[in-house]
Amino acid sequence: MTPMSTSRPTLHTVIGIVLVAIMLFPVYWMVNASLAPAGNALSAQWFPTDPDFSGYSRALADQGQNLITSLVVAVGACLLSVVIAAPCAYALAQLRIRGTGVLVFFVLISQMIPGIVIANALYTVYSPLGLINSIPGLILADASQGIPFAILIMRAYLETFPSSIVEAARVDGCGHVRAFWSIVLPVSKNSLVTAAIFSFLFAWSDFLMALTLTTGETIRPVTLGLYTYIGTNDTDWSAVMSTAVLSSLPAVILMIIAQKYIAAGATGGAVK
Amino acid sequence: MTTTTIDPAPRRSRDSARRRDLLVRVGFILPAVLYMLAFFGFPIVKNIVMSFQAYDFATFFNGSAPFIGLENYAATVTDPIFLRALRNTGLFTVGSIIGQFVLGMGLALYFRKRFPLSGFLRSLLLLPWLLPMIVSAAVWRWILEQDNGVLNRFLEGIGLIAEPIPWLVSSDTALIAVIGVNIWLGIPFNVVLLYSGLQSIPEELYEAGALDGATGWKAFRHITLPLLRPVVSVVLLLGVIYTLKVLDLIIGLTGGGPANATQTLATRSYEMSFVEFDFGQGAALSNILIVIALAFAIVYLRANARAATKG
Amino acid sequence: MTSSSTSPPSPRVSRRALGAAALAAPALMQLSGCGERSSRSGARDIRIVDYYNTPADDVAINGTFETCAAELGLTFSRERVPGDQLVAKVLQMGSSRTMPDLLMLDNPNVQQVAASGALAPLEQYGISTDGLTPAVADLGTYEGTLYGIAPTVNTIALFYDVAALDAAGVEPPRTWDELRAAAAELTTADRYGIAFSAIASYEGTFQFMPFLWSNGGDETDLRGEGVLGASQLWSDLVHEGLASRSVVNWGQGDAIDQFKAGNAAMVVNGPWNIAGLRADTPDLEWGVVTLPVPVAGDESIAPLGGEVWTVPVTGDEEKQAHAAALLKAFVAPEHQLFMGGERSTIPGHAETAARFAAENPDLGTFVEQVATARARTAQLGPDWPTTAKAIYTANQRVLVDGVDPADAFDEAARTVD
Repeated sequence: MTPMSTSRPTLHTVIGIVLVAIMLFPVYWMVNASLAPAGNALSAQWFPTDPDFSGYSRALADQGQNLITSLVVAVGACLLSVVIAAPCAYALAQLRIRGTGVLVFFVLISQMIPGIVIANALYTVYSPLGLINSIPGLILADASQGIPFAILIMRAYLETFPSSIVEAARVDGCGHVRAFWSIVLPVSKNSLVTAAIFSFLFAWSDFLMALTLTTGETIRPVTLGLYTYIGTNDTDWSAVMSTAVLSSLPAVILMIIAQKYIAAGATGGAVK
Repeated sequence: MTTTTIDPAPRRSRDSARRRDLLVRVGFILPAVLYMLAFFGFPIVKNIVMSFQAYDFATFFNGSAPFIGLENYAATVTDPIFLRALRNTGLFTVGSIIGQFVLGMGLALYFRKRFPLSGFLRSLLLLPWLLPMIVSAAVWRWILEQDNGVLNRFLEGIGLIAEPIPWLVSSDTALIAVIGVNIWLGIPFNVVLLYSGLQSIPEELYEAGALDGATGWKAFRHITLPLLRPVVSVVLLLGVIYTLKVLDLIIGLTGGGPANATQTLATRSYEMSFVEFDFGQGAALSNILIVIALAFAIVYLRANARAATKG
Repeated sequence: MTSSSTSPPSPRVSRRALGAAALAAPALMQLSGCGERSSRSGARDIRIVDYYNTPADDVAINGTFETCAAELGLTFSRERVPGDQLVAKVLQMGSSRTMPDLLMLDNPNVQQVAASGALAPLEQYGISTDGLTPAVADLGTYEGTLYGIAPTVNTIALFYDVAALDAAGVEPPRTWDELRAAAAELTTADRYGIAFSAIASYEGTFQFMPFLWSNGGDETDLRGEGVLGASQLWSDLVHEGLASRSVVNWGQGDAIDQFKAGNAAMVVNGPWNIAGLRADTPDLEWGVVTLPVPVAGDESIAPLGGEVWTVPVTGDEEKQAHAAALLKAFVAPEHQLFMGGERSTIPGHAETAARFAAENPDLGTFVEQVATARARTAQLGPDWPTTAKAIYTANQRVLVDGVDPADAFDEAARTVD
């Protein structure tokens, strides 16, 4: 029996629900506003007694393609981030290479640069290269938030990785890459999934890169598509809120699936 | 039958084996290094160069940006709002980090217990991160509205306050309100990372500790915290860096107002560039911000190195 | 026994290295100052950038462009940018030499962009200010040269809730004293007398200008009595509880939302709301009057809002000429009528505006207000944004921190000098 299971599960579930409900009240309010009669998001009542779905019909009609674009870009950026960051994090944490302190430093500094500076610089490079309005271009750009983050996070987790396992394998003649692929990765699933989740979230909620590197005519992530309802002088709030609700759904489902992989004690039995 | 004779050949093959090994190890970091250089090298350099130039609106069209040395930095530091922005940045960062971390750690520890729906509820906690910032800011502005906002109606309803609190429109409460919203936004980040870190601690350690009589708070202090240290320090460090950079949230909630009550160095830098069109000064201020964040980074790296040699 | 690892990483690495170097090279080129411009589209394909991104706006703008382009045998593509990001986009395009063929700018920004040499003078293409009121002509003029033309303009006036005013037995106010009295009468436990936008952005200044100008104030002298008097009016309205303290955090959109929700009996806002008022709150009977003046008989001077269309200098003379031709057709009076009707804005051409008022009685008050309106950049040109910021900063100090208008605007004047 593990010490983590609890004696009064139902009570804990109830408390858990209450805690999450408090945290998510603004999300509830957003759903409430999306159902308020058009233009009256401001005077929404506590409970949507007279729901108006016109915002949703507008959102569904306009944003379908945008949602798919957002998903493709976010998943692509997430995969790219993990693929590039995982080996790097492992090398920084476990393989001894001289001068990598500089790399860590550089990665840290890169996290401090305002997004608009990066976006502007990328625009000047993407433009002549014809990468404007391209999905691969957006994936590369959106990974710029995920890669440094993933490197730092996974490096932190991998620092406490029991290197004795790898050493044992190396003594048996296993190469670095084999050791990484067959031993380190499976055991550090937690950190991989966590890094992947955040890389996905960074790319999913990105607005600046999408705004700068697309012209809105061919591809439009949903963060940009939202602005169809935000004019300079008036805003269709129920459509905005409806779009936000709809666009959260696929992402929430992905999050729920991903979180199942953050299992307990992943490193537990490995040493044995 | 194998022969083991010592002659020059093995040394050469030892050297080439070592070189090959080094190449393989470098191969692990090479894609990342190239990506970082390509995507961050130029912007970092450009930002530094721009901070020494007189870069204004017209520069974007005619390219003329005369070198003016440290004038931008001097102007930035002597700007009347600078000290206020600096103080606000400090308060904002400290308040946000303490709130996010404590609440995040609390929630992460709570969700370690196994009960029905715990995984599902944990995933829902990520919802604040899935909302576009413009939506979150708009919703919070409605909630915090002085006259009709839900928060004031609730507080008045339960008798906690007599007068509505001017959350976002008074210089006394605006910064507190903004810190509160930022804590809300930062909790999911902390919860997920800390939970993941907690899950990586082998349960056998707790079992063994329980046998020695270390449970509850003692277990937390002697088992959890030490093993969680690398994750905690990276979460705190990244938390500080991201909080220093927070821009969209403040602009969305108050625009830096009212009357500069919520101006931080990040919002000031943005304002100098895109409202006052003095990009040189904006770059200078963002570089100052980077240096401040660097100070934290250096502390982290030193503490990390010391702990690594100890462990 | 050694086991060789799977395929060595080196070939993968060098391919990635080449790819990354290809990315880095243009960045290095950019550092050394040589940019590249890729314009492969034909000379008859016009690239347009604007911020009309809502479907409602599209009907008017896209529709008109389609008609005009068809007549001239041109094709066009439009990039719609979110409103507050347009200037940043313009700067990006400017520095990477990828300016569009037709660029829409919000009128306060025209002077700065013109001053940087990015725009082509329009007179050479046969576009003139004939028939425009002087103020509307001012919108696109920099140092005497015409760089941009606004087909429709707008301004702000005072909306009021007819039922609320009737119930309180109050007439729509025409002077400041009447305004104070009416707001006082109309303020109840769950409603403020008036709402306006005093937000810390150019919108806040936009809302302040009619009070400043009608009071004899001048934007070049922020310490003047006219300016201080206007600020005092705002201060009185807020500190006496006739307008919510939240005005310092409301944009014009928020203010009209308050009006629609019944939280304010009067609101200072523009004609673009009319379609929304009809659609969202059809039961709310509203009226409009021109903004109250300090003393009966004074002129009510409001600021001109609206967007100006310009032809950037792209170096492609033929394309610029085509773009200008398209623009000339776009701003023709009959299109002004169409766009004005669709978007509830006022044609810039004086005669057309009069026709428009006759055909759209709901907008009559706005036509009246536009006739006496002024361009914000008329006197200060490219220096207007600095003054605008000084003005809204001063008002924030007055409304939030209770600073005396004289002190606040003295501080403001010093930042401008």
